[in-house]
This record gives sequence, structure tokens and C-alpha cells, in this order.
Amino acid sequence: MQKHIQSVSAYVVLMAAIMTALTWAMPAKIVGLFVVSGLAVGSLYALGGIGLVVLYRATGVLNLGAGAIGAFSVMLAWQLDVRGWPAPLTWLAAIGVATGLSLIYGRLIAPRLAWRDPVVKAVATLGLALIVLGVTAFLWEDDVRKFSLPTDEVGVTILGLRVTVTRLIVACAAVAIVVGISLFLAWTRVGLQMRSLANDRDLSALLGVPILRVETQAWGIAGAIAGFTGLMFGDLVRLEPTIITFLVIPCIAAAICGRLHSLGLVLVGGLSIGVIESLMTLSPTFKSVRSMAPFVIAALVLMWMQRGRRPLFAGDQ
Amino acid sequence: MKRLLVLGLAVLGAATLSGTAAAQDKPRCGAGNGTAATGAPIKVGGIFGNAAPGDFSSATDAAKAFFDCVNASGGIHGRPVQYMIENDQWNPELAGQAASKLVRDEGVVAMVGNASFVEMSVNAPLYARENIMAMASGCAVSECFESSSIVSTNQGPLASSVGAAIYAVEELGAKNISCIGLAIPSVGNWSCGAVEEYMASKGLAGSSVLLNPAAPDVNSGLLEAIASGADTMLVNLPAGLAIAVLGSAKEQDIRDTYKWISSTPLYDRSVPGALGEYWDGAMFVNAELTPFDGTGPDNVHWLSVMDAYAKAEDPRDTFSQAGYLSAKFFTQMLEAMDPGDIDVRAKVTAAIKAIAGYRSDLICGPYYVGEVDRHMPNHAGTMVKVSGAGFEVVRECYEYEGPYFAPLIEAEKKFGLR
Repeated sequence: MQKHIQSVSAYVVLMAAIMTALTWAMPAKIVGLFVVSGLAVGSLYALGGIGLVVLYRATGVLNLGAGAIGAFSVMLAWQLDVRGWPAPLTWLAAIGVATGLSLIYGRLIAPRLAWRDPVVKAVATLGLALIVLGVTAFLWEDDVRKFSLPTDEVGVTILGLRVTVTRLIVACAAVAIVVGISLFLAWTRVGLQMRSLANDRDLSALLGVPILRVETQAWGIAGAIAGFTGLMFGDLVRLEPTIITFLVIPCIAAAICGRLHSLGLVLVGGLSIGVIESLMTLSPTFKSVRSMAPFVIAALVLMWMQRGRRPLFAGDQ
Repeated sequence: MKRLLVLGLAVLGAATLSGTAAAQDKPRCGAGNGTAATGAPIKVGGIFGNAAPGDFSSATDAAKAFFDCVNASGGIHGRPVQYMIENDQWNPELAGQAASKLVRDEGVVAMVGNASFVEMSVNAPLYARENIMAMASGCAVSECFESSSIVSTNQGPLASSVGAAIYAVEELGAKNISCIGLAIPSVGNWSCGAVEEYMASKGLAGSSVLLNPAAPDVNSGLLEAIASGADTMLVNLPAGLAIAVLGSAKEQDIRDTYKWISSTPLYDRSVPGALGEYWDGAMFVNAELTPFDGTGPDNVHWLSVMDAYAKAEDPRDTFSQAGYLSAKFFTQMLEAMDPGDIDVRAKVTAAIKAIAGYRSDLICGPYYVGEVDRHMPNHAGTMVKVSGAGFEVVRECYEYEGPYFAPLIEAEKKFGLR
């Protein structure tokens, strides 16, 4: 526990130091604008990262296909909207299809890889990502499209920056999912079984935990989160399947900040990555490399976390 | 039996008549005699880029439609054009392979309708070495315009951005423009840099903000542009990214705080719908070629050729206009050559370089090539603004100015075009 607090403290101090260095002698008003802008993007990273960690904790699979599933779902929502479906139905259809896609993979393919190394499982989901992206690109040729939600029209001003209700929904959803999933894991029987699987899959199987059923439920939850995240990315980033598909990469960086385990730290990691990336815009030296921020931060976290401990992706041994 | 014979003749006659009517409905292209071309084909190549996240194939689609029309109309000196198209998929290795296949293996006499971010940068040296000209239609990088072997009918981001900036200065009273471009070498810094030079040449202020094409956070880029103190935002980005930036601007409700202008990517039929009512009347866009609904003979002919020879789903956009125009000028040039020379690449290249003063209502100025180390014949355009579900012309053909265009204007004087 003490080591954990030490790690979190070190992370917070490091992030604060980087932020101070980037904003040194800058007017507070300008800094405020960029901080709020960064928090808005960071909450998207956190949301995506939380979905990844929920699944990883229960199944040991880092789903690199989550972005592609989200991209497919938001494209479907757009298509249904164009065809005149009521907006809430298009959102539900998108989340439903994302859940379905995730369940299909989780039920049909993931069990066949259950005893392989985590890296093999992750690479298999990269195949899923490329297939789903290929189908999406086949169904929707490159064109100018816009997906928007009614909540885009309403906003509040925070530190001089107007923040739409959609962005607030993302931030609130990220926190709500962290709290909800944490409670689910702590207080429900399925949650207990998921924690058990995450801790030791072999032992859980011996104890009679219905592995396939529990993992299927985890894939379903992760799919629903991927669908919701896809809708948010489509609205707040842009409606381009490739961009949304590969947004899974900074989300992985956020997930790594939580060591693929702590949902709270994923939230902190996602938000801090977003803010630092945004603040780098203020630096003439670093602004051209700001897209590297998630990976540099993830690499630093990995190096810190790995000191003297078992490496990430070590498998079940 | 006699009745049957009469009925058969009547059906045959009706079929012949309807066939003739259909043939008459189809547009004619080139100077052919109206009978489908036969004989040894004239080999011509074309390379486009199509893979996520962008599709530039409309240029080669339109060039192909034009060549199909030429072939159906009698060909060039009675011979058909064999138009071979390759997709570089934005991959430099594939772009190099495609050019090598067409230029070395197939022995094409020229490249026509090329449109890519990648192809020209990779293949410009090969084209120079092999003494072949590329009459391109979708140039986007500096290497494409600053090559002795490539000439394009489109303007690209530099000319189009400077054109938009000129409009903002002269018509909207802009004093300080922030150009939001792509952080891709030879694209964003090159085109936004020319805007800065133009503004400096007028004693005004200009700055650049470069965005990573895959960046999820466009808001920071917009904030950087705001922090520059600009009174005008020049959005010089592919349409998808541009719409994301304008979405952020809408989020901040800063439409009325700044003047908003854009280079050509936002001149696309689907853009007004994607932008929504918020930008109605507030977004000014530079059009590199004539407006889509132009009533000039070439623009009308372009649409009829596309309807008759292209797929219904092929875009009718700026690159499509440019692809049609490159193919048309190429055909016009070959028709003026001695029929015995049109298979000799060196003579075709020399004939292309001798093009001077070709005109079309699709572009504002004369099209020319010449033996020079840079080509940008199309450097005058039209300005439109988003209006309802479409666009409204706010300034007819006007020529661009600024330090970048000075050598081009000098060359045009030498060619007797001024």
C-alpha cells in the first residue's frame, strides 16, 4: 500500500512539474483555457482506457479492437440517423451492435486463445481491429460526414473556455463508470468471479468459477463501453473510422498509467495525458511533438512501475 | 408469315432508332469521327491515392471517363487510349512500384490525372530521369509543383490558401491571418508559409498553426491560433479535419469573433450539410476550378462525360474537374502532333512542354507547361461562401499575388502569355 501511494505521489509530482515547466510565466487565463481543453480530451482517453482495463482485468485480453468497434458503431448511428431513425434509437443501436461485435469475438474467438500469452491475445484483437476497420471502410467510403448529439448545443464556461454538455457527459461518464465498475467488482457475485479470474485463472477454474460465462459478461460490458466511447469520439473528435480506430493507442497509454488494473489511476492518467498534450501547444519547442505525449508518459510510467517487479504482460505464471 | 416479318422489321427498326438516339445522347470527346477507335492503343498511365483516410481517385476516375469518351468518339488519330491506373494507397513503396510498372514495364508515353499526397514526392526524380511528363490533377505537396516533370491542373494548398487570404484582406478587411495547416512536410509549412509571406508583403501579420493529421485534440490548435492575435482564421486542412476544427469553433461560439476562410478542400457538395446552419454565410472558401454548377461549355461537358462514362457514385468534385481537364488538354495536345510521333515518349514529352495558352472555362487563366523547374499554371480562382445547402460565388475569377508567384509570372511573360 505504501509503495502504491509512493508511486501515485511520484506520478502526480512528475505531472505537476511538467505542467509547471510548460506554463512557466504564461498568463493564468491562457493556461486555464489550455488546461480545460486538455481535460476535455483527457476524459476521452480515460473513457477509452477504462473500457480496456475493465476487460483486461476480467479476461487478460488487451482489446486493441475496441477503437474499431467504436468506429463501426458510430458510423452505423450516423447511417441510421441519415435514414431518419429517431436519434435515441440510433445511439442504442450503436451501443447494441458494439456489444454484439464484442460478444461475438469474446464467445467465439477469445476462448480459443484463453491459454495463450497475453501478447498473443492482444495481437489477435489487432486482427479484429483490422477486419472491423476494413468492413467499415468497405461500407462507408471516404466522405465528409458529421455526427453530432443534441448536447453539443448547450455548454458552460469554465476558466474562459466553453465546454459543451457532451464533453461534461464524457467526463461524468468516465467517473461514473469507474465508480460503477468498482462497486460492481466489489459487491456482486459476478464481480467477485471477475476479480478471481483476474487474480488466478487456473485456480478460479478449479474452484468452479464459470469462466466462459463470466468472460462473456466482461466482453459484453467492454463492448457497450466501446460503443458509447465510439459515439463520443465520433462527435467530439471527428467521424473518420481510421482516426477513431487508432485512438485506442492513446487510450492504451491511459490504461498503462493505471497499470491495466486501477480504474482510478486510468482516469488520472487519461486526464493528465490530455492536459500535458494540450499544454505542450504553448511551448514553441515541444508543440510539434505533442502527439508523442501519451507514449512518453506511458513509457515513463512503465519504467517506474517495473522497477523490481514482475513485468507487464508476464502471462499467468 | 408476312405479318411476322413486318413485326420483326419494326422491332429491329425501333431498336436501331433507340440505339442511334442513345449514341446521339452520349457526349463526344476529342476530334474523332464518331466511330469507336480501333488499332494499336496509345498507352497512358495514371496514379492516385486511395486508402484511409483519404480518397483522391476522383481525378483518375474523371480522366478515365474522358478517355473512354475519346475512344468511343473515334480516338486520337483513330487510335484508342489505353489508360492504365494504379493506386499508391499512400504508401511510398507502392507509389514507386506503380510508377516503375507504368513507366518502365508498360512504356506509357505520359502520365495523366495523377492525384496523391505521396506519389509525386516519390516519383518526381524518376519522371525526370525517364524524360516523361506527368499532367497531374491532384497535387498537394511542394515537390509536385516544384518539379520540371510534373504540371497540374489543380492549384494545391499553397495557391488556394493564398487566394483565400487575398480575398480576406481585400474584401473582408483582414489584418492578421492565422493559417491552420497540416503538420506534414512540404504541405502545411509550405502553404501556410506562403500565406505568411503574402501577408508580410502587404505589411500585415500572419502566423501558422500546424496540426497532426491524426490529432484528436484540434481544440488546442484552435486555441493556439486564437492566442496568435489573429482576426482571421484560414482553415487549410483536409475536409474531415477542417470540419473538426470548425466544430471546435462552434463549441466556443467564436464564429462572429473572427473572419473564417478556407482553401479548396471545403469546396465539396457535402460540406455545407456537414457544417450545419451555424456556418451559413460565415465560411468563405476558395475554389481552385470553376464552381460545380458553372455553365461554361467545358464544365457542362465534364458533367455529361461523367454521367455517360463514369460510375454514378464517382464524385463530381474539384479533383474530378481537374482530372477531366488534364485528360482533355493531353488529348488536344496529341491530336496536334504528327500521328507517327505519338508513340515516341521523348516527342510526347517535348510536345507537352511546348503547351502554351490552352484555355478552358474550368480554370481562370491559360494553361501552359514550358521547360521550367516549377509548374503552377492555375493560380487564379474563385471565392464562394457557404450558403444554405450549397455555395454562392462571392468573387469571380481573380489572380493571386505574392512572392511565391513572382517567378511564375516572369515565366508567363517569357511565354508571351502576358
